[in-house]
Amino acid sequence: MKIAVCIKRVPEMDVRFKIAPSGTSVDETGLKWDMSDFDGYAVEAALQLTEKLGNGEVVVVTVGPDAAQETLRKALSMGVTRAVHLKVDAIPFDNFAIARALATELQGGGYDLILFGKMSIDSSNGAVGPITAELLNLPCVAAASKLEIANGKGTARRELEGAAELLEFPLPAVVSIDEGVARPRYPSLKGIMAAKKKPLEVKPAQLGDLRMTVSTMALPPDRPPGRILGEGVAAVPELVRLLQTEAKVL
Amino acid sequence: MTQNVLFLLVLVAALGFFSYNAQRLVRYLTTGHDEHRTDHPWTRLRNVVVIGIGQSKILREPFAGILHASVFWGFVILTLGSIEILARGVFPAFGFDRMLPTPVHGLFLLSQELFAGLVLAAVVVLLYRRLVIKPRRLQGDKVHSGDAVFILSMIAALMVTLFLSATFDRVVEARHAAAFQPISSVLALVFGGVSPGTARSIATASTWSHALLLLAFLNYLPYSKHLHVITSLPNTFFSNTSGPGQVGVMRPMDLEAEGVETFGASDVKDLSWKNLLDGYSCTECGRCTAACPANITGKPLSPRKIVVNVRQRTMEIAPLLKGDRAEAAHAVLAGGEGDDAGGGTVGERVGHRLLDTYITEDELWACTSCRACVQECPVSIDQLDVINELRRNLVLTESRFPEEIQPAFEAMERNGAPWKFQPADRGRWADGLGVTTMAEFAERNERPDVLFWVGCMASFDDRAKKIAVAFARILNAAGIRFAILAQEESCNGDPARRMGNEYLYQMLARQAIETLDRYHVTTIVTTCPHCFHQIGNEYPQLGGHYEVIHHSTYIERLLQQELVPLRTENGKQLVVAYHDSCYLGRYNDVYDAPRETLKRALPVVTVAEPPRNRSRGLCCGAGGGRMWMEERVGKRINVERTEELLGTGADALAVACPFCMTMISDGAKALGSDVPVYDIAEVVAGQLER
Ligand code: SF4
Ligand code: SF4
Repeated sequence: MKIAVCIKRVPEMDVRFKIAPSGTSVDETGLKWDMSDFDGYAVEAALQLTEKLGNGEVVVVTVGPDAAQETLRKALSMGVTRAVHLKVDAIPFDNFAIARALATELQGGGYDLILFGKMSIDSSNGAVGPITAELLNLPCVAAASKLEIANGKGTARRELEGAAELLEFPLPAVVSIDEGVARPRYPSLKGIMAAKKKPLEVKPAQLGDLRMTVSTMALPPDRPPGRILGEGVAAVPELVRLLQTEAKVL
Repeated sequence: MTQNVLFLLVLVAALGFFSYNAQRLVRYLTTGHDEHRTDHPWTRLRNVVVIGIGQSKILREPFAGILHASVFWGFVILTLGSIEILARGVFPAFGFDRMLPTPVHGLFLLSQELFAGLVLAAVVVLLYRRLVIKPRRLQGDKVHSGDAVFILSMIAALMVTLFLSATFDRVVEARHAAAFQPISSVLALVFGGVSPGTARSIATASTWSHALLLLAFLNYLPYSKHLHVITSLPNTFFSNTSGPGQVGVMRPMDLEAEGVETFGASDVKDLSWKNLLDGYSCTECGRCTAACPANITGKPLSPRKIVVNVRQRTMEIAPLLKGDRAEAAHAVLAGGEGDDAGGGTVGERVGHRLLDTYITEDELWACTSCRACVQECPVSIDQLDVINELRRNLVLTESRFPEEIQPAFEAMERNGAPWKFQPADRGRWADGLGVTTMAEFAERNERPDVLFWVGCMASFDDRAKKIAVAFARILNAAGIRFAILAQEESCNGDPARRMGNEYLYQMLARQAIETLDRYHVTTIVTTCPHCFHQIGNEYPQLGGHYEVIHHSTYIERLLQQELVPLRTENGKQLVVAYHDSCYLGRYNDVYDAPRETLKRALPVVTVAEPPRNRSRGLCCGAGGGRMWMEERVGKRINVERTEELLGTGADALAVACPFCMTMISDGAKALGSDVPVYDIAEVVAGQLER
């Protein structure tokens, strides 16, 4: 079983972002970076599948700047076999271009399964996986919360609003992974040390033409500050009035 | 003549067999890795004198302590007599009476009589205690009680034979003044009717029995928990609590070492020879376990079991590793404690290891790293060192730990705090207080007198932020030029280190050292005992050298110098119970400063002490990373501790640690008590002039 997992380096999201002077991207100073959360689930799912089968290879692929190699190393430290870095100066916004670069790399690689996180937590498109599947002409399951492989066939579960669906598909296939599949393992130091010696191949990303760019980026407006109406029972009538007239929740 | 030759043969055989066992046990120690334990020789010697000869730790429990100390001191004195007896067995002409002036020899005789009497009396009481009273701490699923009774009986027999031989010697001929042999001279009167011939035979038989018993005792030791008779003094000398600033400091670890594939310890071969010597030295007294907060509240952890099982595992595997086929084949020294203790065929033993076979993951994660066990151990064993090394293996090599702590690890790495707080908000607690940051000082080309290292709790936790505010107000009122690092501060790494994640710890610590050195920081004051211990005592391992002062000491100094403008009216007559933080107290010996601070700030305050206080204080339950783990088994440690504190009838509880603050406040809440919990800084700040 040969599995590819496409991952992305993203900034830690629990911060107040600032917009860069260019006005089209965030200011990256002081940001901490890590593997996108859903990609972590995908790597874990791939590792568990090969561990269960007792054989196989997991390859991680990323499109990104040099610093993205840290993210690849993290996947290697979790137990992935080797990594491929498709190098760009900056990750473009154009999903199609990224998918093209990935498809070029994955084409003819002999992969039984290609996994993605269901979306990156920074740009939240969820599109690169399905586009890559399209380019490779493979079946695609988006946002699987459960994934099993047996006898050359896959079954996946998708959570819907108030329901779930079970899908069956032939291999090879592309699946994007939702949380809930398996909690990503914490790399041991042993794994981190081993990762330093694992192969990491660097190639230029074949992006092709970029047809989409960010024109402007804006922060959400500040929330109006809370108001203190008074204390105790005396404040209740005013509170009720405002909840009815201003907040319109009653 | 034939008798002397015979005795010589027995003596040589006995000493030979003892030497064989001694070299065997020393060789087994080399199963562990090498380690230097001879630094600070004078401190080590002082420990031998105070803890070993002086029995200071044994005497922490007065009743059993005085009994044991009597036996110990008695043995030391009686050894002189034993030398004479053994030498005379070979050279009948030998005798101290020929070498010493009569009065001095008389005193020697007197000392032998009196101490033999003392030992005999103590042994009888100890036997009574073992067999009739049966104190709880001497119970355990596989504690070698039979062994203890056997040894005690042997000691009693040694003393009895000593008296018999002296008595019947006197019946034959009273060679020494009765005043020097008060006990045997009385006994000699009792047995005065025995004929000289019979008396001579009894005296000879008693001397022989005494000598043979002594040699048997010596040779039984290597097979018994009473090996401590031989190893405890060396063990105290080599204990790692000897060096200044070394108390409670975790072992340094080289993560970059070439070719290393496993980290921490999973078996005795990964421990140091000193850990194995600890195993030999354990007397199974159970003082450690009786003081362990995890054990007291029903968790599956017993520090005694940890040590006993280190010994058991050493005896199981070392003979195999060292090629002692014969020793490997028959039963090992002493059984391990617990159902998970090993044993079995040679093949099975090779498949065992210390972790899992003898010590389970659950035990290791139950430890709060409070050091109560280390503090209590009369023979200076470091149980916690083993726990820490096993935890390191679990995390670094095997990535096995309670799942609740993974978010803490991840947050420390990404957010620089063990919770998902925004690093940019770190300095927000100080908004409006007019606190200057290090960066602002640097911009003006100035340096503050001290850096206030706030720590994650006091930076982000709503309750603990009030401690930071109170302390900043005190500093301001006293006119101290201080700075904070605000968003440039991040977790010091202590929680990661205590949870076994040395890799993450070193990453955070190096980053912190880099920041501190960039600003040429020399003096740091902090409200958190964990930051205090870590930065002051453990950063030197990574090249960070700072003078770190805990706020209790710092405020006490300010009060002493009358730099803090306090209100003069006395306020209410309050009784405050102070809770000792482990990392302040047992780790750093700061016991008086917080109490003094309370008294100086509120002259009318009475500081109440729960039964367990100062170096015996019970942990709040947060240390060792327990703050981030669920407490699923047994009673909650914080509730147990809060009950003790409330039991003093205090009007308020005082702490000097933000983690204790959380635990004790939660404890009070759980007990439905509305007794308030304050940090000592809050008490002082409440008395500031407005
Ligand atoms: S350090 Fe404290 S919690 Fe840990 S074993 Fe020792 S006494 Fe128990
Ligand atoms: S480790 Fe120390 S305190 Fe604990 S049982 Fe052994 S000798 Fe006693």
